Parts: sequence; structure tokens; C-alpha cells
Amino acid sequence: MSIFTFRKQVCNRIFTLVRNVFISKHRFIPVLQYSSATAQNFALWNRGITDFNKIFGFPFTTLRLFSTQIAFEPSTSDGLTVEGILGNRWTILDESESDWRSHAAAIAQSIHLIKKRLQWKKLMMRLELLSVELNKADLWDDPAHAGKISREHGSIMSKIKEINAFERELLEHIDMIKLAREENDTELESESLNALLTMRRNSREKELEALLSGENDSCSCYIEVQAGAGGTESMDWAAMVMQMYILWAQRRGFKVTVMEEMPGEIAGIKRATIKLDGEYAFGYAKSEVGVHRLVRISPFDSNKRRHTSFAAVAVIPITGDGSTHVQINESDLRIERYRSGGAGGQSVNTTDSAVRIVHIPTGITATCQNERSQHQNKAAAMAVLQSRLNQLEMTRQAQMNAQHTQSLSDITWGNQIRSYVLHPYQMVKDLRTNYEVSDPDSVLEGDLDSFILNYLSASLDNDGDQL
Amino acid sequence: MRLSIARAYLVAPHRAKSIRPICSSSLNPQIPLFLRPPNYSVTLKDFHKWHNWAKILNCSVGSSFVDTDNGPDSTLLHRELKWLVQDAVEDKSLSSELENEIEQNPELGLRNVRLKVGIEELYRLWKQRIHERRPFQYIVGCEHWRDLILSVEEGVLIPRPETEVLVDLVEKVVSDNEALREGLWVDLGTGSGAIAIGICRILEGRGRVIATDLSSIALAVAGYNVQRYGLQDLIELRQGSWYEPLQDVQGKLSGIISNPPYIPSDNIFGLQAEVGKHEPRVALDGGTNGMDELIHLCDEATVMLKLGGFLAFETNGEDQCKHLVNYMENNHKGKFCNLKIVSDFASIPRFITGFLNGAI
Repeated sequence: MSIFTFRKQVCNRIFTLVRNVFISKHRFIPVLQYSSATAQNFALWNRGITDFNKIFGFPFTTLRLFSTQIAFEPSTSDGLTVEGILGNRWTILDESESDWRSHAAAIAQSIHLIKKRLQWKKLMMRLELLSVELNKADLWDDPAHAGKISREHGSIMSKIKEINAFERELLEHIDMIKLAREENDTELESESLNALLTMRRNSREKELEALLSGENDSCSCYIEVQAGAGGTESMDWAAMVMQMYILWAQRRGFKVTVMEEMPGEIAGIKRATIKLDGEYAFGYAKSEVGVHRLVRISPFDSNKRRHTSFAAVAVIPITGDGSTHVQINESDLRIERYRSGGAGGQSVNTTDSAVRIVHIPTGITATCQNERSQHQNKAAAMAVLQSRLNQLEMTRQAQMNAQHTQSLSDITWGNQIRSYVLHPYQMVKDLRTNYEVSDPDSVLEGDLDSFILNYLSASLDNDGDQL
Repeated sequence: MRLSIARAYLVAPHRAKSIRPICSSSLNPQIPLFLRPPNYSVTLKDFHKWHNWAKILNCSVGSSFVDTDNGPDSTLLHRELKWLVQDAVEDKSLSSELENEIEQNPELGLRNVRLKVGIEELYRLWKQRIHERRPFQYIVGCEHWRDLILSVEEGVLIPRPETEVLVDLVEKVVSDNEALREGLWVDLGTGSGAIAIGICRILEGRGRVIATDLSSIALAVAGYNVQRYGLQDLIELRQGSWYEPLQDVQGKLSGIISNPPYIPSDNIFGLQAEVGKHEPRVALDGGTNGMDELIHLCDEATVMLKLGGFLAFETNGEDQCKHLVNYMENNHKGKFCNLKIVSDFASIPRFITGFLNGAI
């Protein structure tokens, strides 16, 4: 190959790269890259415009359909695909080793993991389904529904696009390296090698992001803790669990608000609800749903015996977009003061204006005592109630769709997820992942991330090798 | 025991708006703590020292107040302390979690905290709260009521959570009957102006409200609150006993709302210390059976309301509600319709509502 053809090839590459980035930033469809198919890319460009128009309600062309096919796997000029790289089983060395095969293999593995976490196949099927919906002529008769569909379509598209772009980038850098080697261009080779290293580092972040790709993962949430049977010892344990979440949330930078707290007679809490405001609060906290078990010498037992206590944790997403918004009838509600003290009215001056709302048809209740006026406590309790009812509805819908889902509304006491042993030895063990640490104090001080990430990756990754 | 008029202030409507300066020139209401400028400063370490001192004081109370007169327990006092910190500190992010960090990093303790009141005053205030049982709302100079923050001070009844429902009742009535929304409403014995401001916002600028009170302090505080919510053009304050400053609007009222004194005189001495020792007796004592004022308000309502006009009064509970409904049905036969007893959130029958019979 002459130096002239080489430069031309490089320029072509750069052109495609730049153009693809441009396209993928501005269009709603995944742009597919197969080596040098410029004409086909332009066809896709056109389709992109049609899709764009349709989404915004200008069906200039009704013949075009929403595309969901990712029919052609991207590959290098000599036909190497991401699957191919995985198949080659190249040894993955330490990052510091400047071996392009090692970098490529590590990135390919990340891509595989990310796809699995995103449930790639399911995602494709969902996209297909949404596209069929979007292509229906009467779609915009129900604008709310249409908005929801096109939002979800858009968000899945952008995920797919991002991963495809990542794949393409990997393959293009490999092409460059091969090219540079043929031409003995050491400068270009080291540039591309560095680019691969950057990708390898970024892929860690993407792996983590992919853990939190559930529908409501980015939402704020409520965490509820309830003491199990066993009186004061259990109530004290429930308070410790709540404290653990408050400390964990503060470390993560979530804003924490105590919504309600029902103190135990002697110590601890019977039940409490906190609100976590922040990005991905639900995505992380959902891992904590279930029963937490404590074994220790009870400070409330004068005979210093060992006790086992339980606390149940529920997590409810606060879905802001109103996608699942249950209409509440005022007449279905019973509103009451949490604690009634004496005659009330002028005879009593209490700053305790806690309110409890009961939704009579479902029996679901919500309480707030954090605010300074009854009116505001009522409004806050209504917001909690709304979220709980939305949650119930989401669970119901999920069950109808026969999807696997954690039902937050029925935590059974048998559903233990984690054991905290303070005596006779020291250990915290997650019963779902078998992940354990021997320092309960740090966990109870909010050092929960390793448990959460382990659970999230286990629940998404250990599900066979299927995408 | 009818309250005699100390100074009968009969203000004609066209002069009404000038009444506020009259009140505030003689009496300057206190500015609530949270609205004061942060002119004081103290080190974080000293601030936490005060905070810990106050917490220990709270703990020492235990349930002793609950046992003597159903007063606050330690938990409630802790919550009040948290709110006092919220109101007194300029930097809202300051939280007690910092305490642990101060121990580990003493330099943090040297940081300054900007306060709206001096640290000595904070000690004094919390001593008053615990030792004298001074109501928390007088300590911080405000009460959060519905979505409002109302200035309160000694001499003015602290609005109760139960009373928030009175405004809900009005909201329900005017949403069923838009003609009433555009009418003239009165809040008798307005105190801090809570009900008048609450109603006025419900009327959405289409109706007007007259708030009356016998007490000059109450009128000054109500005036301050009305001004703070920018309602001075819609709410008129008049000084005098019950209907006496309202002779010019006889038979023209769309609604009469009141939370008059209703505690039987004999019960006053057994009240919770915060109420009995600190709040104005004139706003609490309703005579021998607690119903002197309520009966008077019902009697006069027959001539003050226009046909179809609405009334809602707060009472001491079930007995008074029943007695009042009976009284209205028997002594003013056929005058009222739709008389109802409405319970508060603690399920205690608390309010009576009704309409003056006749088409609007």
C-alpha cells in the first residue's frame, strides 16, 4: 500500500467517525456502520429524518416504518467483530501493558457485560413492540399514551445507539492499529493504543451505569423500615437499620427527609419512612428490599442472652413523570390525627400535627409528622400515599405482563436478604450473593455500596450467558 | 360573661384601610425569628455546646409534662428544638451530624455560624421553653399553619391545627357555590388573622373579608400577617367585640367564620401550662359552660347573614356541637338549614356548619 492510499484510508476513517458521531447525536435511530457503505448510510440518514418527522407529528411519508433492526454487525475491514474478539479469547493483561489485543479483549468483555445488564435481547424485543405502536395511525389520538411510547422508544434507542457507537469505536481503533503497523507509523499506533486504553477505562463506568438501567432506577425514593416481632430489641434494630440508610444516603449525597417515625415505647422505632432525593436513589436502594436479621447480645436483656431480631425494608420509587399515576378519590380517604391527645382544640397547644391518611379501598396508609403544619403534613402524606398506590399499580401491571419483579408490597418475614452477626463472631453476610464482610460497624455506619453493587451485578450478570 | 368593648372602634368601610397604621403606630408586632437578619455570630463549637445542653434539658423532661397536664414529651421537645435551629440559623445545611466531625477535626469547630439571635438569647429562650413552659410558637414568634407562616406573640392565641379544617370547610362551600365566593366574609375574633388570611386566599381575590378583634395586640399582629401575604386590599381589620364593628354590613354577609373562646371557665386552671399560663384568657374562656360567645354568635348570625349565607364555628367538642345545633333548631326555628356537625382529624366533633334559610 502506498503512503497515498494509506492517508486516504485514514481520512476516510476519520470522516466516517465524525459523521457517525454527528448522526448518532441528532437522530432517533441507531446508525449502522458496516465498513465503507456510505450510500447506505445516507439511506439511513433519510430514514432518520422521516422518523424524526413522525415522532413530532409530521407524517410527510407514511410508507417509511420505524426501524428497529440492528441487522448488520459492525466489523473491522478484515471482518473482525466484537463477538469475534470475545471468541479469540485473547489474554487480558494489566492496563499498564501496552498490548492492543489485551485492551480490545477487555473492552469487548465490558461490552458483552453491559449488553447483558441492559438485557439486550429483551430491549430489542421491547423496541420492536414500541415501533409497532409508534407506527399505528391512531397513535396520537391519545397524546399522553403516545408521549409515553415515544419517550420510551427514544430512551431505548439512545441506549442502543450508545453501545453501538462504542462497538464501532473499538473496531475502528483496531483498524487504525493494523493499518499503522502495515505502514510502520509508530505515532499513529501509539495514539490508537492510547485511545483503546481510554475506552477500557471508560467501559468500567459504563458497566456501572448499565446496572442502573431499570425503568425507575433514576428516580428518588422512599425507604420504609419496620420492626419485626420481638419488642424493644427489634425496635432498636429497626432504628439501627434506618440510621444505616440515613448515613449511607448522606455519603451518596442524597437529600434525606424523615417523613414519619413511630417510636418504640422504650427504644428504637416501630416503623419509619424516609425520603431520598437524588439521581438513582431508587436504583441503588431497591437492592435493600427484604428482611434484615440481627444476632447480638441484647442490651435490653438483663440476663445478657443472645437475641435474633428482624427488620423489614421496603423501597418505593417516586415516579415524577406521572407514567403510572393512580387517580385518588377524595371520598376513598380517611384522614386522621396520628396521636389524639385529650380534648384538642383551644385546650391543647401541641406542635405535633402528624397526619395519617388511610386509602379505604386498598387499606394502604401514609403518615407524615415531619412538617410544621397539619396542612403540610397532610400534603406530604398524600404524596407518600400516591407513591404507594402507584407502586401497587406498577406491581399489578408487572404481574399482568408476567415479568419477573420484586413485589415491594408483600415482604414476607421469610424473605431474609442479609444477616448481621455481632456475637459470637462479627460478620455481615448477604444471603442472596453470599458476599460478606467481617466489620459490621462500618456497614451499620452506612458502608453499603459493596453489598449493593454486588447484588445488582449478581442479579443481572449471573443469569446465564445470554444477552 | 360577655366581653365588653374596651374601645369601640367603628370604622366606616371607606376609612377601613387606614386602620392598620392606627394599630401598628401604637403597637409594633414582633418580627418572627426566621425573618430577622443574621446579625449574630458564634463558633460552631459553642453552638453545638448550646445544642447539646438543650437536648439534655429535653431529656430531663421525660414524660413528666405529659403526666402533669398532657404537655410535650422529650421527643416532641427534640423536634421543636430542631425547628428552633432551623429558624435561628442562617445556614440551612447545618445539621447535627457535624457534631461527630467536630470531634475528629477540631478546626471545624472554629468555623462561625451566623445566627438571627445571640447565643445567650438561645440559652434564655430554651430555658423559658422548659422551665416556664413558654409555648414554642412564642419562642420562635411564628406558627406554621396550613401553608402559611403566621407571626404570633404573647397576647395572641396560637392558631391550632384543628382550626385549619375551618378553611377547608369554606373551600368546599365556595367551590359548590361561586356566588358565595364573590361575597363578603367575616372572621370574628381573628387573633393572628389565621382564618381571615386562609379564607381570603380561598376566595381567590373575588370576595372580601373583614376580620374583627377586641384586642389591639391581636389586630396589630393580624395586620402584620395580612401585610406579609399582601392581602391588605382584600382583608379589612376592625376593632370591637364580635358583630359590633359590623353594623354597616348587617344582612349582607356571605359567610361568618369564628373560633371564639369556648373553654368552660372552670376548666381554665387545669389547662396545659403552655395554654393556661401563657395564652390570652380572653381568647379561651367561654363562660360557665363555655358557650356564652358561641350562643351570641349564633343569635346575631340570623340578622347579620344574607339569605343563603354560610356559617362555621369551632367548638370544644361533641357536647357543645350537639347543644348548639339543638339551640339553633329550637330557638331559631326554621331560620337555619343544613346544620351539620363536622369532626376534626382526631375524630372529635369540632365544628358546626349551616346556612341561613332562603334563596340567595
